[in-house]
Amino acid sequence: MRKLNAFTGVVFGLLLGFTVNYLSRKYLAQGEDFPFYGDQVIILTMIGWALGFMIGVGAFVGPYRWLMNRDLSYEDQMWLAGKDAGISRYFRFTTDHKVVGIQYLVMTMVLLGVGGTLAMMVRTQLAMPNNHFINHSMYNSFVGLHGIIMIIATIIMVTGPFGNFILPIMIGARDMAFPRLNALSFWLIFAAVPILLAAPFLGGISTGWTAYAPLSTQAPPGMDAYILAIIIFAVSSAVAGANITTTAVTLRARGMTWDRTPIFVYGAVASVGVAIPAFPMFMASQIFSGLDRATGSSFYDATNGGSGWLYANLFWLMGHPEVYVILLPALVALLEIVPVFSRSPLFSFNAAVAGIVGITGLSVLVWAHHMYASGWAPNLNAPFMLTTEIISIPTGLLFLVFIGTIWRGKIWVRLPMIAVYAVLWNFLIGGITGIYLSDVPADMALHGSMYVTAHFHYTLMGAGLTGMIGATAYWFPKMTGRMLNEKIATPAFLIMQVGFQVTFMGMFLVGLEGQPRRVAIYDILFANGNKISTIGAYTIFFGALIMLVTIIDSWRHGEIAPANPWGSQTLEWKVTNPIPLENFLVPPVVTGDPYQFGKPDVYDLGSAKEKVEV
Amino acid sequence: MSTNESTRGSVSEFIRRPYVRHIFIIWVFVTIAIGFFAPVQSRLMGNSASLEMDVVKETMTIFTFWSAPVAGLVISIALYSLFGWRSKGDTAPTEDGSPMRSNSKVVVGWLVGSSVLCVMLLVWGLAAMSESHNESDPAKIHTVDVVGNQWVWNFDYTEDGNFSSPVLYLPVDEPVMFNITSVDVIHSFWIVEMGVKMDANPHETTHMRVTPTKLGVFNVRCAELCGLNHSAMFTKVHVVSKSDYLSWLDSMKGSVQ
Repeated sequence: MRKLNAFTGVVFGLLLGFTVNYLSRKYLAQGEDFPFYGDQVIILTMIGWALGFMIGVGAFVGPYRWLMNRDLSYEDQMWLAGKDAGISRYFRFTTDHKVVGIQYLVMTMVLLGVGGTLAMMVRTQLAMPNNHFINHSMYNSFVGLHGIIMIIATIIMVTGPFGNFILPIMIGARDMAFPRLNALSFWLIFAAVPILLAAPFLGGISTGWTAYAPLSTQAPPGMDAYILAIIIFAVSSAVAGANITTTAVTLRARGMTWDRTPIFVYGAVASVGVAIPAFPMFMASQIFSGLDRATGSSFYDATNGGSGWLYANLFWLMGHPEVYVILLPALVALLEIVPVFSRSPLFSFNAAVAGIVGITGLSVLVWAHHMYASGWAPNLNAPFMLTTEIISIPTGLLFLVFIGTIWRGKIWVRLPMIAVYAVLWNFLIGGITGIYLSDVPADMALHGSMYVTAHFHYTLMGAGLTGMIGATAYWFPKMTGRMLNEKIATPAFLIMQVGFQVTFMGMFLVGLEGQPRRVAIYDILFANGNKISTIGAYTIFFGALIMLVTIIDSWRHGEIAPANPWGSQTLEWKVTNPIPLENFLVPPVVTGDPYQFGKPDVYDLGSAKEKVEV
Repeated sequence: MSTNESTRGSVSEFIRRPYVRHIFIIWVFVTIAIGFFAPVQSRLMGNSASLEMDVVKETMTIFTFWSAPVAGLVISIALYSLFGWRSKGDTAPTEDGSPMRSNSKVVVGWLVGSSVLCVMLLVWGLAAMSESHNESDPAKIHTVDVVGNQWVWNFDYTEDGNFSSPVLYLPVDEPVMFNITSVDVIHSFWIVEMGVKMDANPHETTHMRVTPTKLGVFNVRCAELCGLNHSAMFTKVHVVSKSDYLSWLDSMKGSVQ
């Protein structure tokens, strides 16, 4: 077991992958009567890679030892947790939640980088109406891959790094409820990423990130890579979801009743709580897709009893809750930040919980607003419009909590707080444009146009990703032991924000003017808006590069951070840096909620008869 | 400047607080600014070419008006906080802010307000949807079958003629029902300036009704990624006078398809 790590994982994965590839090419039936040979070989090869990698990285050591009746000893478990191990523990199957959190953070940054580069390719092609930067096949592939890579990145971006590293310490626990499952969830993604990144080399995908059938059935072999990557990713999220939920429910410190539990925990649990039923829909949709492609089944083939609408329903049953899986953790991370940087308690903790529960509860009832124009069930358009517009109520509650906390606070303007303001702005625009789209007649005009693209970038990127950057700035001192160099990171953040507004306002413009989504070339009518968007995109890229360099530089050479540089009251700030392996030398006992801020002034006490010093 | 009768927390005392006045002024400015912006989206959508597009533009404008005060509230409080409540310098504040944890009047008020706004949006939307289902004279509705094909649109005039055409001609001011299908993958039939759209699904027929209100040539684009040449899948719709439409039908009836 002690010889296994990421490197042996890759070696085993390649070995098993090549073996399966050789055997399947030799023995699977091919020829005119067996048109599925190609897809079958690819899928089996990739399964071989994934299985081989997981074996080689040591994911099955625990179950194997248990089967052999040689259960892991205490020393084994300490070794697995990375005790006294130095940097090598980041490159193997390590169970310490702090290691897994950092692994997720690096993975997220890599995925954001790849997805961002693809976005730059897309925006470069769209700089001019009839551009020849890349051909249409590559373009369609890049758009689809940009989408799915960013979706995966944004799903894991807060729950992965901070749900893993911070949450257990925040509730006073020594680790997650299932430390080995924690490592498993990370390494499953590590196995899935090369599969997804192989897609461009297999002919790409001709669909968008939504991989609609029946286009997906006729798509090139890259589609098989997408399918398998998603199946693996769904397993990873299910495992992670079970872990986070059990941890939050069972491992809170003594005295941490639910009304003393930080709001971040509520948001993390709610988001994985809705992911647990939703992502299996995605998995099922891809399994059927894979079967249609590789065995000739007709789940989605309308000429043989199937329906493209089956795919759309399964997909959006995942797809809508999924956007809240992306958004909520980012918002609740900011809800931890805003009391600290306003030195004021969280406004109406109960409203925040109600908002979170309302959003996640309703999120499973709105999916067919993505299908108003599909013609699938015109009589259901009105009911879905109802549920979709109702979701604005719990969402509005979260806005109330933000501005209520800021109200008469003492605002400390540092990068985590600047992120809060940016998110408030972006989420207002994203939310209001969502209201237009929720209206059925308006959606008939806007669906499938760049307006939709701009709307979801404002919510997922403007609110989600921006919130994650704020969370990174906030928890950076605790996770790395150093301060992030805000003298450079803050201007970089602002450059990204300005670029962001320019990019997506340009997209709202061309969407209103009539440009469809996912087009490689466009009418000269849309030239100005696209130029604006492309300039904005390059600005984001420039800011993001500076941000990345600053993060890496601060991580390596930044000023050493005190244990609690922000004066926050949640438990993770009470542990010293470097953090002991099991976080707390003595398990903490909690006696109050973590929002005990506030110095009453004359508006809180006393009568208005007194002259007020403003 | 406060009188002896007003007590802390009463509305009259509240509105007299300096920061409340400042926030109110910013709120007025921002709400008006958003209000001015409201018709811009509608103008950017170009001239409306159908009854349905009129509804779309009206909806977007009015929804913006209705959201303006709420957005204004968030923006004004956030903006004010950066100046009026800011702690100076880069280091941690030496004093805390307000200890207020909640205010049930505010929470209830906010919930009621957002629910009222939600109901308004819904009623407007439902009214707009039922409008489009009003049949004034069923006999007068034209029918055109639309077939999406990677990567072209074809129009089958089975009622007004018996021919197939790659170009779409419609008479002005008369409702049309499109029966839409695809022979391969999912496409989406979008008449841009008329603000209507419906997916074309293989082996299924979907329906879309529109009443063109302007003469002219308008854009038909495919709005669902359908493979390699999705970007090039477009055509035009010619909206002409009734007499021109009949002449066009005559000229097409000669061709058998």
